Amino acid sequence: MAMAMDFDDFLHLEFSGYSSTTTTATTTTTPTTSDDGLACNWNDWSPVVDWEALSGGQDDFHELIDSMMDDSGLNPARVDNETSNSVSTDTTMAVDEETNGDDFKGLRLVHLLMAAAEALTGVNKSRELARVILVRLKELVSPNDGTNMERLAAYFTEALQGLLEGAGGAHSKHHHRDEHHQNDVLAAFQLLQDMSPYVKFGHFTANQAILEAVANDRRVHIVDYDIMEGIQWASLMQALVSRKDGPPAPHLRITALSRGGSGRRSIGTVQETGRRLVAFAASIGQPFSFHQCRLDSDETFRPSALKLVRGEALIVNCMLHLPHFSYRAPNSISSFLSGAKTLNPRLVTLVEEETGPIGDGGFVGHFMDSLHHYSAVYDSLEAGFPMQSRARALVERVFLGPRISGSLARIYRNRGGEECCSWGEWLGGVGFKAVNISFANHCQAKLLLGLFNDGYRVEELANNRLVLGWKSRRLLSACVWTSPSDSDS
Amino acid sequence: MTIEEPEPNPTSDHILDWLEDSVTFLPSFLDDPYHAGGIDTYQWWTQGENLVQEQLISASDPSRKRRNADDPLPRSSQSQQQRKNHGRRINESEEGDEEIVTVKRSVGNKKTSNKSSGNNNTNGNNKDGRWAEQLLNPCAMAVTAGNLTRVQHLLYVLHELASPTGDANHRLAAHGLKALTYHLSSLSSSSSTSTFNRSFSHGVQWPTLLEPLTRRPGGPPPLVRLTIVAPSVENDQNTEIPFSVGPQGDNYTLQLLTFAKSMNINLQINRLDNHPLQNLNAQVIDLSPEETLIVCTQFRLHHLNHNTPDERTEFLRMIKSLEPKGVILSENNMDCSCSNCADFATGFARRVEYLWRFLDSTSTAFKGRESEERRVMEGEAAKALTNRGEMNEGKEKWCEKMKEVGFVGEVFGEDVIDGGKALLRKYDSNWEMRVDEKDGCVGLWWKAQPVSFCSLWKLEMKVNEIRSNI
Repeated sequence: MAMAMDFDDFLHLEFSGYSSTTTTATTTTTPTTSDDGLACNWNDWSPVVDWEALSGGQDDFHELIDSMMDDSGLNPARVDNETSNSVSTDTTMAVDEETNGDDFKGLRLVHLLMAAAEALTGVNKSRELARVILVRLKELVSPNDGTNMERLAAYFTEALQGLLEGAGGAHSKHHHRDEHHQNDVLAAFQLLQDMSPYVKFGHFTANQAILEAVANDRRVHIVDYDIMEGIQWASLMQALVSRKDGPPAPHLRITALSRGGSGRRSIGTVQETGRRLVAFAASIGQPFSFHQCRLDSDETFRPSALKLVRGEALIVNCMLHLPHFSYRAPNSISSFLSGAKTLNPRLVTLVEEETGPIGDGGFVGHFMDSLHHYSAVYDSLEAGFPMQSRARALVERVFLGPRISGSLARIYRNRGGEECCSWGEWLGGVGFKAVNISFANHCQAKLLLGLFNDGYRVEELANNRLVLGWKSRRLLSACVWTSPSDSDS
Repeated sequence: MTIEEPEPNPTSDHILDWLEDSVTFLPSFLDDPYHAGGIDTYQWWTQGENLVQEQLISASDPSRKRRNADDPLPRSSQSQQQRKNHGRRINESEEGDEEIVTVKRSVGNKKTSNKSSGNNNTNGNNKDGRWAEQLLNPCAMAVTAGNLTRVQHLLYVLHELASPTGDANHRLAAHGLKALTYHLSSLSSSSSTSTFNRSFSHGVQWPTLLEPLTRRPGGPPPLVRLTIVAPSVENDQNTEIPFSVGPQGDNYTLQLLTFAKSMNINLQINRLDNHPLQNLNAQVIDLSPEETLIVCTQFRLHHLNHNTPDERTEFLRMIKSLEPKGVILSENNMDCSCSNCADFATGFARRVEYLWRFLDSTSTAFKGRESEERRVMEGEAAKALTNRGEMNEGKEKWCEKMKEVGFVGEVFGEDVIDGGKALLRKYDSNWEMRVDEKDGCVGLWWKAQPVSFCSLWKLEMKVNEIRSNI
């Protein structure tokens, strides 16, 4: 039974062919050799982010047209020569595709996707146009093969198709993940962990802040909004029991919020996670107890449902938007965070997705931002593991594809309105106080990224906020807060 | 499960890199300059499709005083020449006594014979189904607004969806894309423009005039003179007029003469080459006082400037000075897209709308089948997107202009209308003929949208010693 397994065993299920462990020290079994050639391009990569140019305005029209003409060798004299141009533009395209190859196709795909998004919502809204563009996209791409951009475009195409068919956007496919076999989900999760720092960055940054905040406490109580497979706490326990020169490991109590009985959770139930954590804690000698606190039927949080014990350092942990996580409704999150405030927690750790500047905030702006975001994710996965296309395809199919669909469905329904504000800002807005990210924490994040491809970046956006990015694109941020009335911090 | 595997092509595509660099990415399809879509004028001609024409005809009839009111000459001449627009072949046009239908080339080019089912109310204005315009018009607007990024974006999308085959939308996208890229290339190269007018008469309508003349009581007039103002030939896409170019070595005058001879008609053809409409006068046409003059202008006067200078009014005045017995005016019934009347985006949208109706109708006519004939025809029609001579006006404006100059509108005879309607029944039921009770013009409509009109005019207060039964 699972009770008997430790986390390594758990995560080694079905993966004997693929090197992996749960600790960072041994994670990088696949060397990051990209500098040697495969992915060397991005050393020359220009840091100028002009992504908005795809949808933004420019005004040096004539000059640019001129340069387009010059560069493309257009000779106006040829205009009058009908007979020499009896072949359609396709000929020209074919030649260019040979020279510019995938990049050019990728660019075409982006334009098509953007146009489809616009046709679904813009002032010139035309379902027929959207339909025709999607037909064309489906001719061009498949989620199962092709370049990164082609596979990504395929998922976006699928998502847009869902919006088109769902008309009002009520229809959404973000429960896709349930359709995947449990083994696939576990495999994909493991691969995601090994291929990218996304999951660990959030866990480690939060855990380091927690360790620092409870250094002298005997009893620690963590309320976890979305515990998932619970792997974050395995690494925390390991850190707690291996503290040098410190007090003995404090008693750790974790309360996981649980949700009504939908079958949506495919990485085990909260109960299973609890059993594994108990077993793991026992195996390393960490005093531990596990509890659940049920959210209301609408997934809102009632602080009164929480069992608190005097003398415990209360930690509120809120992991959102990690690539393998389920979607959580803003109402639910805000009820949790505002409820947490009434409990005066020692620390609030929050990890969430970063969004770019959205422009006018409309659907197309959000859509393009989303495309940009996932293109960075796809790039990073490939740069780190260029040889594992099947592995990446699995991660894409199990996690990223459904996320893309769900995310587009939401911004389509909301027309981008609802989720523009980051939860970090929200916390500051409701009165939480920023807690500095320690130097050690920052170093740890850099160390973590050093194990992966050096396209990853970590930056300190505020003194309480670390951001993980891929090249110029910010992807995830971790921030740390404390209750305004908590005297200990 | 096995995860690791070698990839044959490990070249990584860094999406982010090029996404972020994409601003400088050049849409390479721009280096395809506008061209005429590979129109092979010879093939086009050999299909026997009929065409826009503008002609001056003078029927010389020294014995006209013998004519009575039943003299069919004028009526036939006018009605039959309209009919010609339908004629794929000469003999087809001879079969009946059906009369006036003003049909633009779009109709005339239809080769299938969809029977009318009386379903003439199909609304062709379902904009959502017309997706190509949802890309073309915004692109033209972006051009006007100078928003290069957006122009570039829309050109990319158009390029993906454009196709010379397929449904009318794909075709419209293809033609529109070419026109837009051509426009852009001329923006940057400021290529010389010429607004010289030309036209070409392919002469296919006249046999249907000649034939009925032989059936007149008393026989045909002693002399029928046909004066054709031929276009000057240019190679400038700015002025390339749809359906204007005949094949090299085409000798329809000879064919006409042969035909007339077989009918026992004394036909003279006078062809005025390289003669701008602006310079016409009685001497050039060589009018003699004995002749009954009928002026037939079809889809050509809109190529004359209608503002600064107003060559159009000038030309009508000149026509009036010739004291013709009747004037037939057939024109597109649409708003002008010249630079004086509309900015680029507005004008372009009008041209696109015009081409849409054409492509929509050919799509119906060919029932979706591809053929060289269709390709060539549509390529010709698409010239309307770039031709700067497309200075149309709505029907009302034309009528105003005619009245200003001193013409009065005439109503077509009932048999003419009936004949036209009968003829139209041979085509798709989306075609429709509407007679405007107000001005007597006969309009041709496609899917409840006006396409063109035909009108009949006489001189005001003319001493009417010769009765006409037009």
